[in-house]
Amino acid sequence: MTALLPLIPILPLGGFVLTGLLGRRYPDDAHRIAVWAVVASWVVASIVAVMALLHASPFGTGGAGITLWTWIPANGFASGFNASMGLFVDPLTACLLIVVTTIGMLVHVYSIGYMAHDPGRWRFFAYLNLFMFSMLLLVMADNFLLVFAGWELVGLCSYLLIGFWYPRRTAAVAAKKAFLVNRIGDMGFALGIMAIWTQLGTLNMQDVFAKFGSVPHEWQIAIALLIFCGAVGKSAQFPLHVWLPDAMEGPTPVSALIHAATMVNAGVYLVARCNPIFGAAPEVMVVVAAIGIFTAILAASIAFTQTDIKRVLAYSTLSQLGYMFASLGVGAWTAAIFHLMSHGFFKGLLFLDSGSVIHSVDGEQDMRKMGGLARKIPITYATMLVGAVAISGVPPLAGFFSKDEILGGAFKNGFLWVWAIGFVVAGMTAFYMFRLMGMTFWGPSHVDPEVEHHIHESPRSMTGPLILLAIPAALLGLAIGFPPETGLLHQWLAPVFASTIAASGHTEAAYNFFGVDGALAIGTTALVAVAIVLAWRLFGVEIPVLGLRAQPRPDQVREISARRGLALLYKGSFNKWWFDDINNKLFVEWGGKLAAAAFWFDRTVVDGTVNGIGTVTAGAGGWLRRVQTGRVQNYALGIALGLILVAAGYLVIAAR
Amino acid sequence: MPIGQTLPFTAVRWDDVLFVVLAIMLLGSALLVVTMRDIIRCGLAMIASFASLAGIYVLLGNPLLAATQVLVYIGAISILVLFAIMLTQTKNAPTRLVFQTQAWIGAVAAVVIAAIIAGTVLTTTWPSTGAVAWTATSDIATMLFGQYVLPFEVVSVLLTAAVVGGVLLARREPPADKEDRS
Amino acid sequence: MSNSLDSYLVLSGLLFAIGTFGFLARRNAISMLMSIELMLNAVNLTIIAFGAFVKPLHVHASVIALIVIAVAAAEATVGLAIVIAIYRNKKTPLVDEYDSMSQ
Repeated sequence: MTALLPLIPILPLGGFVLTGLLGRRYPDDAHRIAVWAVVASWVVASIVAVMALLHASPFGTGGAGITLWTWIPANGFASGFNASMGLFVDPLTACLLIVVTTIGMLVHVYSIGYMAHDPGRWRFFAYLNLFMFSMLLLVMADNFLLVFAGWELVGLCSYLLIGFWYPRRTAAVAAKKAFLVNRIGDMGFALGIMAIWTQLGTLNMQDVFAKFGSVPHEWQIAIALLIFCGAVGKSAQFPLHVWLPDAMEGPTPVSALIHAATMVNAGVYLVARCNPIFGAAPEVMVVVAAIGIFTAILAASIAFTQTDIKRVLAYSTLSQLGYMFASLGVGAWTAAIFHLMSHGFFKGLLFLDSGSVIHSVDGEQDMRKMGGLARKIPITYATMLVGAVAISGVPPLAGFFSKDEILGGAFKNGFLWVWAIGFVVAGMTAFYMFRLMGMTFWGPSHVDPEVEHHIHESPRSMTGPLILLAIPAALLGLAIGFPPETGLLHQWLAPVFASTIAASGHTEAAYNFFGVDGALAIGTTALVAVAIVLAWRLFGVEIPVLGLRAQPRPDQVREISARRGLALLYKGSFNKWWFDDINNKLFVEWGGKLAAAAFWFDRTVVDGTVNGIGTVTAGAGGWLRRVQTGRVQNYALGIALGLILVAAGYLVIAAR
Repeated sequence: MPIGQTLPFTAVRWDDVLFVVLAIMLLGSALLVVTMRDIIRCGLAMIASFASLAGIYVLLGNPLLAATQVLVYIGAISILVLFAIMLTQTKNAPTRLVFQTQAWIGAVAAVVIAAIIAGTVLTTTWPSTGAVAWTATSDIATMLFGQYVLPFEVVSVLLTAAVVGGVLLARREPPADKEDRS
Repeated sequence: MSNSLDSYLVLSGLLFAIGTFGFLARRNAISMLMSIELMLNAVNLTIIAFGAFVKPLHVHASVIALIVIAVAAAEATVGLAIVIAIYRNKKTPLVDEYDSMSQ
């Protein structure tokens, strides 16, 4: 059985190699290998995941792995540093496998239609396959070094795919931004891995978790913080959240697959996977919860006023990821994975829907130039409605169950402040989602008359995945999350988190609908209902619902937002709380000024000195100016002198 | 008549004599490579230095390496260099100035590097056996196609890539790019 | 003398220094490449010398040296091709007239 594991990542890797090598020659058939490779990978992954989730042999409750070969042999380094090329599957990995391969497969199919007219689509499919390989490697790796390799590879794929339309300047800039911001987090992760090695002398995850109790507590905190730093970068949490909205410059299937359903979940997965580490450092858990819930409300408040349909969804993703981290932080591990899965499905669905909308209105992304699309693209509309209702948390769709578990977990584990903010965010989520629905599908049409007459439903290869994704988005909660806290998912994941939960001392009170749990659920649902009605009133419906015929009230929105105080809030939200401007000020502008000062210094002081000497002795001046001539040998000389310096320094130190 | 272990009438070993001769040839021809004015003569001096190095490899008990040195360095790389010289020499190129203006710093740096290396070598106690160990070709073969077979294959890929890359770079006309510029 | 590791290492150090000097001082791109070959040879000599005198490195050193030679051949191919390509553009083999990196 474990012999099947390597097949899962290798199939997409093969697809990547073949598509990359042959795609240019056969551009029309470029997608075939890629799509079939992912479908095959999905089949294998499904078998493995089902076996692992049922705790069947050989996986059992603790998971099982296979070591392919020794990657770095222990005798290669004096310290005995070693790493193996090993894959490992346990119920947690199985959950991720289902999300990654299922959504990955549907996105591949969807891309056949979406990218049909793009001349570079062989490149696109090759990158997508490479991404699938990297992501599967990341979730299946059995040691931290291999996780890190997958971690960097998904970052690379993200960069390549955000910048897929690289002739467009904004896309190239956004790709660079995502890459650079991610580096900050990755740096922390790498340091965390090094810290683990220095403390434990092993990188194998199971060994690390088993031995982690013996690490001094301050190192436990440091390691947990550093790993969380990596998760913050990859999952775009405050303060490294700025890259994700810009990442929407990539093609929409990429936004759906990488920037909503899979890669950004890597941080959540990592923290959940490292639950023994975080469980040993409760101080860091509070930080995780605080950053998560703060990102949730920050992003939700920005999503209120954005006008680009994909950006609203991007901020929504940020907000939901914040939820997941808050859930991890309060110790509701299973709820976080539950939300990860349900969010993966409905956010993937929403993004693919937005792509279908954009496709139908000729590439327009501004919601102010949409409206009234419901009748013209009915399948997209219906599936998007399912997604919006699911994310808003209306029972009995997927989002309701997972969100309810997170809020319930926060409340019952004593994090009242997390619950309170999360409660507000739930209402905000419903509001901005239905604002999006209202501006896009309902109300009068603001579509450009040029485009208006050829609005069309997307081809079947695009609507098919939409329908297939709408099913789990609607029913996943009922299927694996019901009855709450004892549903299938809890049975599956119980062995993964059991020891950490037992050690944390949170006593799991049984779910009691006629008690605190029911009250919380009803409270949240009521708030969501109010928010939906409010959004519906403000952003308008022309489709009569139960005989009601409401008029859109954009004027009211304007009135409300024009009020003093509220106006400032509106502006803040619209400008994303000026985070980009702050970054710009801090790093680009002031950094630029610093560079300009250095430039001035270089120009006036350095060059002045040079010229001064040059006028005194032409020979010396001529030589000094050569320092910046860009000639190879000047640099080579620098290398040689540096070598001498290092060697001499080393000798001096060694002689002592 | 077999010649003895040592130079006749002295205690100086033949090995040492050979070593000194080869070392002088090696360093002398290497110096010629970096100092001579006519670049074609530089190339010829380089061949001489390669050959004397092959001799030193024999002294070190490694005939396969010596043979490879002759085949690859003298037979292939030197010829390549000579061809490149022929392709790039123009009559109007000034041959008078072989050194650039910063040459003296380079000389100082080289002397310092030599001093550092020599000093380090002489002050370190190496775990040396004190006698040259003969390296059988069959041992190399066993190891190369056993433990080192993956690097070996990688090197062959590298060589292929280098050949293709060299051809592509040195091709006279850039090919008319009809492929899509997606 | 021929049975002492030190003498071979010093010899290789001198050869390396000569190569360094050539690389830093010569104006002609091909001369620089030849100097690189000298430096590579010096490194190879070190490896072989260690292999001959140090027991645990014995056959490994020869294999590594062989691989270095192969890589050096690849390097020479690409390096010379680059020189020829640059020569074709700039009409000169003199490195100190290649200054487009300063722009």
